[in-house]
Amino acid sequence: MVETFQQTFGAPLWLAVVLASGLKVTLILVGGSLGMMFLTWYERRAIAYMQDRRGPNRVGPQGSLQPIAEAIKTMTKEDTTPLEADRVVHFLAPVVMLAATVLTFAIIPWGNLFPSDLSVGVLFFVAIGGLHTLGMLMAGWGSNNKFALLGGMRGVAQMVSYEIPQVMAVIPIVLMTGTMSMQRIVESQSGFGGLGWNVFTPVGFFAFALFFVASLAEGERTPFDIPEADSEIVAGYMTEYTGMKFAVFYLANYMTNLAICFITASIFLGGGNGPGVNELGGFLGGFLSLIYFFIKALFLFFIMVLIRATVPRLRVDQLMGFAWKFLLPLVLVNILSSALWVAIIRWDQQAQIFTQWFGAPGTADAPNFVRLGVAVAVTIMINLGALVMVMGLNNRASQARMHTTDEELALGL
Amino acid sequence: MTLANRQGTGAVVPVERNDQRFRAGQGTAAGLSIVFRKFRKALFGKPNSDRSDTEGQFNVQYPEERLSLPEAYRNMPILLFDDATGHELCTSCFQCERVCPPQVIHITQAKDPATGKPVPSAAEFIIEYDTCMSCGYCAEVCPFDAIKMDHDYELSTSNHPELDVNYNRLLRPVSYYETIAPTLWNDVRESAMKKLQNNIKRRPGAIGVDHGQKVGAKAAPAAVARPADPAGAGASAVVPAAKRAPVAAIGKTMSEEKLAKLQSIRADNQAKRGGAGAPVDSAHAVEAAVGVQPDTAQVAAPDAATPGSVAPGATGPVAAVGTSMSEEKRAKLEAIRAAKRAQGGE
Repeated sequence: MVETFQQTFGAPLWLAVVLASGLKVTLILVGGSLGMMFLTWYERRAIAYMQDRRGPNRVGPQGSLQPIAEAIKTMTKEDTTPLEADRVVHFLAPVVMLAATVLTFAIIPWGNLFPSDLSVGVLFFVAIGGLHTLGMLMAGWGSNNKFALLGGMRGVAQMVSYEIPQVMAVIPIVLMTGTMSMQRIVESQSGFGGLGWNVFTPVGFFAFALFFVASLAEGERTPFDIPEADSEIVAGYMTEYTGMKFAVFYLANYMTNLAICFITASIFLGGGNGPGVNELGGFLGGFLSLIYFFIKALFLFFIMVLIRATVPRLRVDQLMGFAWKFLLPLVLVNILSSALWVAIIRWDQQAQIFTQWFGAPGTADAPNFVRLGVAVAVTIMINLGALVMVMGLNNRASQARMHTTDEELALGL
Repeated sequence: MTLANRQGTGAVVPVERNDQRFRAGQGTAAGLSIVFRKFRKALFGKPNSDRSDTEGQFNVQYPEERLSLPEAYRNMPILLFDDATGHELCTSCFQCERVCPPQVIHITQAKDPATGKPVPSAAEFIIEYDTCMSCGYCAEVCPFDAIKMDHDYELSTSNHPELDVNYNRLLRPVSYYETIAPTLWNDVRESAMKKLQNNIKRRPGAIGVDHGQKVGAKAAPAAVARPADPAGAGASAVVPAAKRAPVAAIGKTMSEEKLAKLQSIRADNQAKRGGAGAPVDSAHAVEAAVGVQPDTAQVAAPDAATPGSVAPGATGPVAAVGTSMSEEKRAKLEAIRAAKRAQGGE
């Protein structure tokens, strides 16, 4: 883009850089906000149909202008601050929250278009998630309200707990592709006629499921919407926010979910890869990849809505137990099996000594289906074994809690 | 301490918790599949607005689509008047005013201007719709089936005093009530019309039709405008709020012909009262009541058509009853009258 500005307009380098960056940032900001607007409409329509309703269908064609009407409504509302609030923190909390969210959009590959190719893109995404937590705690503390503080503290506990499985779920992909750059990860999935997605490997599928579930908690989606549990603590950390500040929280929330969908689609579902993208190439291929990318992201968001419509909110202890007792062991085992996967598929690249012992594999680049089969079998075995074991352990514990034994009954305990 | 021990029964009731289903996420999977099926059915399935299925789209898009209300649906009370004569069914017996729990019904009894005696008719009838609680007691208690519950639920207005509805705006023709509640009206039609005939005899002059006439005159332009509505009955359900007249109007449109007839009846009455100088006695009224013009009267019941009792020139207050009635209804009326006459004769 910088080159384009230099060549087309003959601008000096610094100006070209500034213009290109400004354009990118504008596109990201506008795209993110518009995406959030679309997402609110999309979620409300989808969940309405799940509940045998129709959802907003009055403003504009099929209610598609409803988010605009609501934006106008929130903007014209009074913006209040509690008297006893820490005014600076109270004001900054939504800003921090939104800033953290917008930053994640920097590394999202839009099909074949990359705003910035960060060499540590995955790490960046996870690290920015921590900032999100900070905004939540600021809102909870700054409001000087017991519900807000409770929500903020719950939020922090949840975020900290679920960041760990979230990060560790990506490690298998990083191991398999050997890179943390989002662009490189997406490119590595272009094999098999555009269908070499990570989710089609056993390790990748496992990682996808774990990452997506952990991300649901990160994005405060409904089974994990404990920080803003409206039936328990009013609106959680958003209790004391009105008007535009409240809307900014919602914007941040939905943009986070959008980013999660985009990131999941990029890392596990091949981003813009799909049949026909490489064949078409050029502008058309890029356009097709963008369409694939959006379809995948919206499909993921649909699953989010489906889960929201189905699963009731967890208790705080169930939430913590799920993260630490269920997700974390599985994620760790998945890292192990992904290491085995990499070793089986590419032993020649990892250690020359194996090549000396077992001979070189046919060709390193072309997929060797025997080794692929062995790798699939081994990883499936390990992962399923771990799943059964962890489920059994968790289940035994919950059975013990749930049931009174005969001895206990006899003793009248 | 378990519940069983605390109760001292010692009986242990095993509760089936169906844990096996939750063990490996089957419970969640089943839930997700149910929700997805609901989504699929609501989005792609056939509309379910008749509630024939337990799934699918239940919504009725209100201003465009409306559910057909059950006959016994009740919203606000209205008063009925007879289409043919314009006579109101209300006799101001004050039963509704007495029974009304929020006491929003206010009746003034009509008085004979000549004698000053009360007449079985209401001079003014006001219902405060804003305080009415739609209990329907008034309609239930009414011995003359004069007060009925309307189906019109779009009463919102920016003009609050408009909700104190006076007699003019309360009146609806019987035919209107027949359209919204045909079987309910069918059950009471005969007794109501019979009672009305009796009451009409006790109403001197135009008392009891005043309001109907006023409404008719007022609603005449509306009557012209209404048939221009293209889709007829179907479109009447989709009439936008702006076009809807406050509370009145529906069906209270009298044709020119009917108005003229009413005028002639009234003139006749005036002349008669002036000539006779005294209110008609009941026997005379019975005679007059059957004074239906023979050319218009298609008498079905043979015993009703006793030629001696038919006085061609005699036009009492009830004379015109039956001219615009259906054949069936008129026949029934004739039968009733004949029976009554026979009773009176014996």
